[in-house]
Amino acid sequence: MDSLLRGEELCLAQLFLQSGSAYDCISELGELGLVEFRDLNPSVNAFQRKHVNEIKNCEEMERILGELASTLSFCCNHRVSVCLQEQLQRLEVELGEVTRNKEKLQKNLLELREYTHMLRITHSFVQRTSEVSYEEFPFLEKDTVMDYSSMQRLGAKLGFISGLIQRAKIEAFERMLWRVCKGYTILSYAEVDEYLEDPETGEPSKSIVFLISYWGEQIGQKVKKISDCYHCHLYPYPTNNDERNDVVEGLKTRIQDLHTVLHRTEDYLRQVLMKASESVYTWVIQVKKIKAIYYILNLCSLDVTNKCLIAEVWCPVNDIANLRRALEEGSRKSGATVPSFVNRIPTSDTPPSLIRTNKFTSGFQGIVDAYGVGNYREVNPAPFTIITFPFLFAVMFGDLGHGLIMALFAFWMVLYENNRKLKNTRNEIWNTFFEGRYIILMMGLFSIYTGLIYNDCFSKSLNIFGSGWSVKAIFNHYGGFKVSLYQSNLPIIWNLATNRLTFLNSYKMKMSVIIGIIHMSFGVILSTYNHLHFRKKHNLYLVFLPELLFLLCLFGYLVFMIFYKWLVFSAKDSREAPSILIHFINMFLMQGDGVPPLYPGQTGLQIFLVVIAVLSVPVLLLGKPIYLNWLHNGSQRLGMYRGYERVRRNSEEELYLMRANDMEEGSSHNEFLHQAIHTIEYCLGCVSNTASYLRLWALSLAHAQLSDVLWAMVMRVGLRMDTRLGVLFLVPVFSLFAVLTVSILLVMEGLSAFLHALRLHWVEFQNKFYSGTGVKFSPFSFSLLPSSFEHDGLL
Amino acid sequence: MRSVRLQADDSSPVHPYLRLFSGVRAGAMVSHSLALPMICFTTLWALVGVVAPFLVPKGPNRGVIVTSLILTAVCCYLFWLVAILAQANPLFGPQLKNETIWYLRYFWE
Repeated sequence: MDSLLRGEELCLAQLFLQSGSAYDCISELGELGLVEFRDLNPSVNAFQRKHVNEIKNCEEMERILGELASTLSFCCNHRVSVCLQEQLQRLEVELGEVTRNKEKLQKNLLELREYTHMLRITHSFVQRTSEVSYEEFPFLEKDTVMDYSSMQRLGAKLGFISGLIQRAKIEAFERMLWRVCKGYTILSYAEVDEYLEDPETGEPSKSIVFLISYWGEQIGQKVKKISDCYHCHLYPYPTNNDERNDVVEGLKTRIQDLHTVLHRTEDYLRQVLMKASESVYTWVIQVKKIKAIYYILNLCSLDVTNKCLIAEVWCPVNDIANLRRALEEGSRKSGATVPSFVNRIPTSDTPPSLIRTNKFTSGFQGIVDAYGVGNYREVNPAPFTIITFPFLFAVMFGDLGHGLIMALFAFWMVLYENNRKLKNTRNEIWNTFFEGRYIILMMGLFSIYTGLIYNDCFSKSLNIFGSGWSVKAIFNHYGGFKVSLYQSNLPIIWNLATNRLTFLNSYKMKMSVIIGIIHMSFGVILSTYNHLHFRKKHNLYLVFLPELLFLLCLFGYLVFMIFYKWLVFSAKDSREAPSILIHFINMFLMQGDGVPPLYPGQTGLQIFLVVIAVLSVPVLLLGKPIYLNWLHNGSQRLGMYRGYERVRRNSEEELYLMRANDMEEGSSHNEFLHQAIHTIEYCLGCVSNTASYLRLWALSLAHAQLSDVLWAMVMRVGLRMDTRLGVLFLVPVFSLFAVLTVSILLVMEGLSAFLHALRLHWVEFQNKFYSGTGVKFSPFSFSLLPSSFEHDGLL
Repeated sequence: MRSVRLQADDSSPVHPYLRLFSGVRAGAMVSHSLALPMICFTTLWALVGVVAPFLVPKGPNRGVIVTSLILTAVCCYLFWLVAILAQANPLFGPQLKNETIWYLRYFWE
């Protein structure tokens, strides 16, 4: 428990690692996750460190592995492979070649297919237009194709350009052709039926086969340039039918060959990848570990003889034996002759804070750490938060039915907490709920309890103990009252009353103030732990005592008055029942004349209390600085003695404390200012924090009203209809009620109450004793390494 | 619609179960009929907060469990105490609508 209450004791240790076995020793330490390494070369920048080349190699390997993993669709565990780096490089080269080949083949295939389409479609043009005949240009008939020789006889040079163009560009192409060539070209085109892959983007797109017939050499050049502009794929147009058929045949065979080759290439690629996939997961982990170890080696420094590596670590005192054993293991693994050893050194630096938690307490420690990690060995609010946080939540949430649902949900999560699927989802929101499953469980259980006391279950009350109010007496017009024998919660009759809120408000406000003051006093009392532990006894008298007196004399008295009024004043004298608020205000103003006293001797007692409270303020303000100043002046005379004492002390914690003391004395102005700020903060804070606890009342009122409204507006509408139709109508009404209950009352109100309870802890409770400016202990452990692969969703 | 305010009265027997305790005076009501729930709950939470910590088996979590038990007992007992003291001597009673009074009269007595 000491660890959870206060954090573990840490010490600074020096590791002397023999050069040969340094790698293995650090690997062992990484497996165990015991220690945090300190940077011994802080002035060296990242590129000048000793092992920068090794880290570069590791990053290269990581890159290769990343590419590899992205081409894989699955991975599985297999046995470890050796010579990691060479293997990876070879694999990369091979993969690169194969992929490049595959791409080239695919491009070839595309061209051939386009050519085939083009030939087919232009053949259909030619056949189509053979019916029309022009005088000057004898056109093609079925069996005689374009004859260059007959053209030349006419002196006209009819040329053809054919190819493919993307569908999106065809209209612009046509228009450009018309404008440039002014009608000396004829363009016919048709769409290709199937989708062809665009070689640049790899996306399937529609292409159009076109055939341009032109006459004149220059027009031909222009047309060629224009088609280049529009990225057309041009193919040679065959001059006669035989040539066309030959080309088509040739193309067919070539396409078939290419298909086979491609198929084989893909098979080969798949095989290579499958082999790699067996070990890729292990490789990734290995590379991560190697990189981490080299990073740590960079943090160490070489000693004078250049044979030994020195590392400084923060190590928990209880784990020094484990540390020794790990070093021995590492030395043994590397077969070193000289063992590495560890040496504890005294230091005055503040160690980081380590608090060991189990799966139950880690949630609560998390919400405390979210505010701030505690200083080294100061009191940790987490063990108390385990109960007070769900309790304050439940005061605000207080509904039996909702609490039950919440508890069941959390219980389900707890039962299935070892289910891998639940643990490892990527959904951030679910992860947040899952991490806090124990918190939610406690919140639900406490809400059930407070719901029982508030007598509120889905906004209806339960008649467990019978109401203490007699209805017969009301009926007979003079009312009767008896507290029921078993009455231990709010009677059910209040739920039916019209002045329900008047009673509830008074009750809940007083309850909030009582709980708040007790919570804050608890916080102040916890600060004594800190004062005692850090050996600052003067704080006990000069800080804790005035604080406690101030709080209790004023607000503790308020609590006393509340209880007194409850016990002493009853309905008999309800007309003369005093208002506590007025009495409280009068106490401050020291006027007591207007109102009759609550009890004899009240004025005297109140004056006494106010005087004590007012006196404690200057004590709080000036006591500590004056005392420290006096100590400092006194110590200057005794300087020599103190130095001698310091050498004798062998506990480094005391050394640290003494250093801290010395540093404090050095600046008395600072100290005075600090204490003044603390005093003002505390005194004003007492008032404002007490009022802040009224949110317990406000939220519980809001929750009760919301659930009441939901019932009245939704469920009652469904329950009012009593025909057969009503039964059917009730089903969607109930589902609407359920959905709204879960989303508004459970999720929204739950989050809201969670947040407010958290704020009450962080601000009102913790500023009485907690500073939260520490550093968290982050051990070197392989299991905690962040993985860049996880971000890419590859693992 | 008339609403009726309940007032304190000490001579009418109320609940069928309570006929044994009829006629208790108002002033003594606080101590007498609060006594049973007081005793019950105080012993319950005393068991949880004072006795149970000794029964927790020794282990690494003993401190946390003991702290939790004590805090639970304190919080829950305080909460219940506030709830019951707030209504021990009420300064006013519930106001009911007439229909509610008829209905309750019919069903509860």
